[in-house]
Amino acid sequence: MSKMFYAKLAVSNIKKNGKFYFPYILTSIGTVMMFYIMCFIFTNDGISKMTGSVYIKTIMIFGTVIIGIFASIFLFYTNSFLIKRRKKEFGLFNILGMDKRNLARVLGIENLIVAAAGLIGGLLCGILFSRLMIMILAKLLKFNISFGFQISIYAVAITFIVFIAIFILIYLNTLRQLHFAKPIELLYGSNVGEREPKTKWVLAIMGAISLLSGYFIAITTDSPLAAIGLFFIAVLLVIIGTYLLFIAGSIALLKILRKNKGYYYQTNHFTTISGMLYRMKQNAVGLANICILSTMVLVMISTTVCMYLGLDDALRNLYPRNIEVTAQSISVQDCQYLNEIIEKTLSESKNSSIDTIKLRYLNFMVSQKEDSLSFVSNGVYLNNEATAALFIPLDEYNRINNSSLSLKENELIVFLKKTAIGNNVTFADKNYKTIKLTDDTGLAKYTSIKYSDNYLMFIAPSEKAIMNIYNSIALDKASNTNLNYYYGFDTNVNSASQLELYNNINTALNNSKSIHSDQIYVGCAESIREEFLTIYGGLFFLGIFLGILFMMATVLIIYYKQVSEGYDDKQRFEIMQKVGMSRTEVRSTVKTQVLTVFFLPLIAAVIHIAAAFKMITKLLEALNLTNIILFAWCVLGTVVAFSLIYALVYSLTARAYYKIVE
Amino acid sequence: MTILEINNLKKIYTTRFGSSKVQALSNVSFSVEKGEYVAIMGESGSGKTTLLNIIASLDKPTSGEVLLNGQNIVSISEKEISSFRRDNLGFVFQDFNLLDTFSIQDNIYLPLVLCGKSYDEMNARLKPIAAKLDISDILSKYPYEVSGGQKQRTAVARALITTPQLILADEPTGALDSKSADSLLSLFENINNEGQTVLMVTHSIKAASHAKRVLFLRDGEVFHQLYKANMTKQEMFAKISDTLTVLAAGANNKQENKIK
Repeated sequence: MSKMFYAKLAVSNIKKNGKFYFPYILTSIGTVMMFYIMCFIFTNDGISKMTGSVYIKTIMIFGTVIIGIFASIFLFYTNSFLIKRRKKEFGLFNILGMDKRNLARVLGIENLIVAAAGLIGGLLCGILFSRLMIMILAKLLKFNISFGFQISIYAVAITFIVFIAIFILIYLNTLRQLHFAKPIELLYGSNVGEREPKTKWVLAIMGAISLLSGYFIAITTDSPLAAIGLFFIAVLLVIIGTYLLFIAGSIALLKILRKNKGYYYQTNHFTTISGMLYRMKQNAVGLANICILSTMVLVMISTTVCMYLGLDDALRNLYPRNIEVTAQSISVQDCQYLNEIIEKTLSESKNSSIDTIKLRYLNFMVSQKEDSLSFVSNGVYLNNEATAALFIPLDEYNRINNSSLSLKENELIVFLKKTAIGNNVTFADKNYKTIKLTDDTGLAKYTSIKYSDNYLMFIAPSEKAIMNIYNSIALDKASNTNLNYYYGFDTNVNSASQLELYNNINTALNNSKSIHSDQIYVGCAESIREEFLTIYGGLFFLGIFLGILFMMATVLIIYYKQVSEGYDDKQRFEIMQKVGMSRTEVRSTVKTQVLTVFFLPLIAAVIHIAAAFKMITKLLEALNLTNIILFAWCVLGTVVAFSLIYALVYSLTARAYYKIVE
Repeated sequence: MTILEINNLKKIYTTRFGSSKVQALSNVSFSVEKGEYVAIMGESGSGKTTLLNIIASLDKPTSGEVLLNGQNIVSISEKEISSFRRDNLGFVFQDFNLLDTFSIQDNIYLPLVLCGKSYDEMNARLKPIAAKLDISDILSKYPYEVSGGQKQRTAVARALITTPQLILADEPTGALDSKSADSLLSLFENINNEGQTVLMVTHSIKAASHAKRVLFLRDGEVFHQLYKANMTKQEMFAKISDTLTVLAAGANNKQENKIK
């Protein structure tokens, strides 16, 4: 046989199986392209010059690894699908006299063609789109730089090596499948597995338990810190639950429906239930894949969009005022000096302050035993019994709130956040009567107490009373000899001027020797904005990018499912017509089944998102994003957009399906 | 009483682009009385399957009419044709055409479910039929778990359960071993003896020798017919055999005539 024969055969095989090969090649091109672009970004010189380029690089390397892993899983999946479909063809070749070595050679050439098309096409597209992508990224990060048209040799090399390795592994896997198959098995390869599925009650129940406990964790977790730790457990439980329920739960449910004779033997239900049983057996894993991927797309896009859009909110939560000065353990007199220095610097730079907040306070950790509070030493802050306590003198409270509350010496006003306390509270045997407050009047956010999930806020009659309480319970090495002080204000100048002001205040305070304080810290939201922007913008970019990749995967799985379903259904469709179902009846029962099968994962994904909603808001809270309404809109928008795309993909692939069936 | 009457049936297949035409049926006329058992024989390409498809209302003739109980099924609208087929015709196919997704019982119920019958009624109908066809024990099994003969008996049960006017069988013994084929043929005979009209298309002389009348089709026309009357199966077998020889020879003669 001439050498050209194999090549010709390979080319004609690819052409003949275009329905399966074409999407496979497209997937290869797509994944190669995305991989290259990611590599390109983290190797790019322009990006390296940015502030916070370390974050961007870390995020993009992370993205590259994810794309690499995902691409290999995904290409393996599509290829194994292809091989399964073609087993009969291999069997025929085998019987016509091509031995396995010849077949391996043909398959090798086919793989080579696909790999070449994928790599060349993918790299070309990647080079073409990399500039656009980097422009988009720069735009997202509000970073002005003109990127020239570049080809990163380094990125090309990495992409080339990684994908050649993937394609070689895929080819070896194909050979393995071919090697272990007998000709007769090859010939009937795609016909096996028609048996009725067994009900696996244990798996179904385990799936339900796993899913529900995942949901339970997601819904009952209240603290952001706990959410970080539990999130992965919940995700894992939900993933396991999804797979088990799709695989075993669906079949158990259908069998229960089938046992109900009155329900089952109705024209509409009869063919649908039995058809669904068969379909679920064939497709459960694929559908669970689609469901998990869809959920990932939804979570990723909605959270990263929310983080990006909520950047200002996050900064505002971190810094309630544009510029803030916090001083630890400072006397009333020194506060005056501090005020003077800040106001002098402000007037020197011809700036004025808006919404100035000055607050004297004291905060420390306490441990609560019923209504008795004692001091917690530094070492055990993370102990669950520790609660943050904030003390504010009554005159400060009245001044800021323009109120005229009064307190007796043995009284404390208390605001409780997720804690409980009785009508009396005891500090080292001294009893105070408590007056409950339902609102913290926004004071807590100026102190570090805002990072705690649960805290106690006390308003005491005087500064002296606060220090008395503190000294009565403090341990030997108590750190505070005085109250702390917060001075924060907004400005109406631009970011650069704010930064200048921030630096001036910093220098002025550093140079002043007259102030006695343990520590003075000056903060400015603008000083960390860029850092936040690179992280949030980078994650946003990655979220969208991976979202598109996963979406591509979802689309492809749906397409392959539709096409293979089509071939399986063709025969059943014909029989039903012969037995006396009209064309429209067959069409409607097939439509019900196909619709159920393909929209089930989407519905499940939306339910997952709904269950995860609260937990994700907690996670975002840990990132200082407390705008739940914004997140709700992001989720809603993502779900609607994704559903539309999903429906569009479905209707396009459904056309391919009906073409085969009819 | 005439149950099926076929008048001047003609079917011409046109290829996709209309360049060539194939005449599958040129002019077929015959009738079937109620309670008859008619076999239609002929070589491949003689138009047997086309004829059966037209009677089954799966295909439309180019011209001519098919009267079932006096109703011309050619003119029934596409919408009503399925329910008409369901109510009046029963089918038995060579490759059984059972659905793997249904158990044997559900396969038999299928046409009744499509008619919207209640489970109790279906169950009541199934019992005597299953007993008669000896498939009572396998009702809960699946088509891939039973033998070919059992599959075909299931198909017969599915055809019988709607109590159709006419049972159409397309090579029913084609995929069966000789023992199963024999039992199926005697089954058809029994059903026929109980008054069921059967129309069977077959290649097999043995299968045809069970029928009360055999029609021979050649080149889209009814070439000859044989009545069994009082003949034994063996005599009928010999007679059919002879006729087929004549048929084949006739075809040869025709060819020779052409050459001359």
